[in-house]
Amino acid sequence: MIEGERRVALEPEAVKALVERGFEVLVEAGAGAEASYPDKQYAEAGAELLAARKDVWSRADLIFKVNAPTELEGGEHEADDLGEGKTLISFLWPGQNPELLERLAARKANVFAMDKVPRISRAQKMDALSSMANIAGYRAVIEAAGHFGSFFSGQITAAGRTRPAHVMIIGAGVAGLAAVAAARGLGAVVSAFDTRAAVKEQVESLGAKFLEVEFEESGDGAGGYAKVMSKEFIDAEMALFREQAPKTDIIVTTALIPGRPAPKLILADMVEMMRPGSVVVDLAAEQGGNCELTVPHEVVVKHDVTLVGLANLPSRLPTLASKLYARNLVNLLDEMLDEDDNLNLDLDNEVIRGCIVHKEGELLWPPPKIENPSPPQPKPAKAPEVKAVAEETAAPSAVPNFIFVSLVVAALVALGIYAPTDFLQHFTVFLLACVVGWHVVWNVAPALHTPLMSVTNAISGIILIGGMLLVGVGQLSLAMILGLVAVVVASINVAGGFLVTHRMLKMFRR
Amino acid sequence: MSDSILTVAYLTAAILFILSLRGLSSQETAKNGNLFGTIGMFLALLVTGGAVVATGLKGVEGVETANSDFLGFGLLAGAIAVGAVIGAILSSRVAMTSMPQLVAVLHSFVGLAAVLVGIGSYVQVGAHHDPAHLVETWIGVLVGGITFTGSIIAFAKLDGKIGSKPLILPGRHALNGLMVLGAIGLAVPFIQAEGSTGLLFLLIMTGISFVLGAHLVMAIGGADMPVVVSLLNSYSGWAAAAAGFMLSNDLLIVTGALVGSSGAILSYIMCNAMNRSIWNVIFGGFGADEGAAPAKGANEPQGTVTKTTVEETAELLKDAKSIVIIPGYGMAVAQAQHPVYEMTEFLRKQGAEVRYAIHPVAGRLPGHMNVLLAEANVPYDIVLEMDEINGDLPETDVVMVIGANDIVNPGALDDASSPIYGMPVLEAWKSKVVIVLKRSMSAGYAGVGNPLFFKDNTQMLFGDAKDSINKVVSSLRS
Repeated sequence: MIEGERRVALEPEAVKALVERGFEVLVEAGAGAEASYPDKQYAEAGAELLAARKDVWSRADLIFKVNAPTELEGGEHEADDLGEGKTLISFLWPGQNPELLERLAARKANVFAMDKVPRISRAQKMDALSSMANIAGYRAVIEAAGHFGSFFSGQITAAGRTRPAHVMIIGAGVAGLAAVAAARGLGAVVSAFDTRAAVKEQVESLGAKFLEVEFEESGDGAGGYAKVMSKEFIDAEMALFREQAPKTDIIVTTALIPGRPAPKLILADMVEMMRPGSVVVDLAAEQGGNCELTVPHEVVVKHDVTLVGLANLPSRLPTLASKLYARNLVNLLDEMLDEDDNLNLDLDNEVIRGCIVHKEGELLWPPPKIENPSPPQPKPAKAPEVKAVAEETAAPSAVPNFIFVSLVVAALVALGIYAPTDFLQHFTVFLLACVVGWHVVWNVAPALHTPLMSVTNAISGIILIGGMLLVGVGQLSLAMILGLVAVVVASINVAGGFLVTHRMLKMFRR
Repeated sequence: MSDSILTVAYLTAAILFILSLRGLSSQETAKNGNLFGTIGMFLALLVTGGAVVATGLKGVEGVETANSDFLGFGLLAGAIAVGAVIGAILSSRVAMTSMPQLVAVLHSFVGLAAVLVGIGSYVQVGAHHDPAHLVETWIGVLVGGITFTGSIIAFAKLDGKIGSKPLILPGRHALNGLMVLGAIGLAVPFIQAEGSTGLLFLLIMTGISFVLGAHLVMAIGGADMPVVVSLLNSYSGWAAAAAGFMLSNDLLIVTGALVGSSGAILSYIMCNAMNRSIWNVIFGGFGADEGAAPAKGANEPQGTVTKTTVEETAELLKDAKSIVIIPGYGMAVAQAQHPVYEMTEFLRKQGAEVRYAIHPVAGRLPGHMNVLLAEANVPYDIVLEMDEINGDLPETDVVMVIGANDIVNPGALDDASSPIYGMPVLEAWKSKVVIVLKRSMSAGYAGVGNPLFFKDNTQMLFGDAKDSINKVVSSLRS
């Protein structure tokens, strides 16, 4: 347990999900207490609560933790409780903790690092870094608001106008975007900066302004991370921040580069330029901080500016953070289960290979480098292809149209020459009626197309007249019988058609 | 003089029919429209009946009519009464989900009537047999016959009495072509025959038209019934018009033209909405695309679907500010439109905006979904057509797809190898969350996989739609 950590690796809903998959779940008593998950809820979900931590380690085959195993009081280490052949899944930071890795290797167990789940779209549901960063970004804004002396939103009150706070977010990754959204939600005027051009659209879609440096260098590195920028770019970046600092009330910085100390972006002179009462929340504090003056783990005031260097912000929303972390864990576990719900550590699985650190003590991390794809660029290439196909199909129809028209003209001419006059009279009526019909029916509301069909059925029952004429003339004969049947059948149409149309139209209401 | 009254009456009736169709341009004027049509029909029948009872109707020239035609009148009245009663019973009993079947059956009656009137007028004692007249008779019977049997098959397919898979006989195009040629060819001896001796040819041609009609529709799959029924609607109109030519009756001609154009327009709209050419449809077959084996796009969707529960669905709906429901025929089959409306009402009371999005070919008949929703008391101003609502989907919080598949398939937009490529669809995936209600992962009627189900923001709620929605409603209420 790390000091101040309030999250728990599994919450009751996740316990239920595991029980459904056939697992027995053991929970250290009081593990969820600080996250507002009392033991009672765990018991109700089907877990067995154990008072002694060591019992959990010894009885369980698979151990879920939030943070990596740490040293305990009295020189002991949590890792010592990890039995041979067991599996441990937690945040690990293998790149920064070589001693821990050695210790764990000696345990001959399987170890997975939640912070090493590959950042591919398929694995998003297992990506604890993203789910925690989302929370951190939100919380950063809450902390800022808590230390700020005014509203975030502008207001017009009887006692005067308040202007909205100006918030600048540095780094528009998961945490940065969450911060943008939270600040916008509170009503602030938000701008964001990132070295990657690809995020501009995302920032703007949240209603914030994307700050740009007048420099032609793309910050898009592999795997969607930023890369280290050239000196010229950094100078231009600093100039931008210097320009913004006097106008900004709140700065939230989230800039991290994998495996390296956090870049220093807000220098001491910029803090001095900020208005008294401003707040800087430095989410990179644990990695050294993006702000020169940040004191990790503390909130200090320098040059009348509050500098928040708190670490582990997700732990301050333990209820949600635990729920999301547990979800990530269960999803990762699902990845490792085969059809019979048995654990199968398939090293061909990109996700498993990416986050496995030890297999029975053998070091497998880091995995062989696969070129991680960056977020796909928009595909303009496909559109012209689609267009070409569409145009191809459009062009040929011009020829049949021409043939059709010529045929019609020829037919009309032939009619004019050969047809008897009364036929032509009827034909005139016919054509005119077609034109009228065309125009009238195009105006019918699509919602009424079914009543249209039933009404047209009803009026085509007018063929009843033809039957009538057959019946009414002469004696009982074949023609008369045929006519009678036609009358019966056509009457069904007339009655049925109008009545069912009426029934349907009655149902439409506003 | 009676002739002039007849003409004026027919003219009035024709205008009333036109006004009737015009009334259908909006829900407010529609009921009046139906009334106009009814009045027009009564007028025409009354006046014709009167003229028949009186002597010497000009509709059939040169025939002496018996003076006391009370036998004829009595039979007529009886026949009309019988037909009216049957029609009334059918119309009051039919379930809205079975409207397509009713419409198909009514089409078949028009076809049958056209055939009977055609043959009857030919065998009538003293009938006038000039070539133009005979050609009109021929056409009327041909189109009527195709309409008759075609509609019966359509009815059977819609009602599930025949399987919805298309019947693809080897050489079917040749078969159809042969039948058409035969029908046209037999006209020659028919026209040349003296008096009524051409009856045999007429009857043979009638038989051919019956087979042709049935065969044409048998070769069409169940999913394309909306187009077929619209087309048969059109044919029934042309059959009536042909009968009108044959009887030199302008009212029949006008009505037939109105109905014919109406059906043609509906067919055109349906074809556009399915991205098929209307020529393809008219010539019966749907081309090589419609095969026995379900066609597969080159990119079968990969990945896993995210399953969800009724409780999670209720949660999502509770928090949503804007919701769009996309119903498909599956919703009607599951009879889920009533609980869906209950859910809609509840959510609207909570202040959410709920709307329905109707794709032109949703359902088994044009405008079918609208009628089903109206039956469930859904106010029509929240039921929108695809073109009206597609643009709003990106801003929608939750889209629920109920019993629909191909009409929300993104493959239609970006997968050139998909059989449904080019078909306009409802872009459900652009909203924030999509919830798909489906019985299982089986393919829809086009037999194509649907990438929508595998998208990140899509959740699948498996189970019977009615059952699921009922559970969602109780979850919302708790």
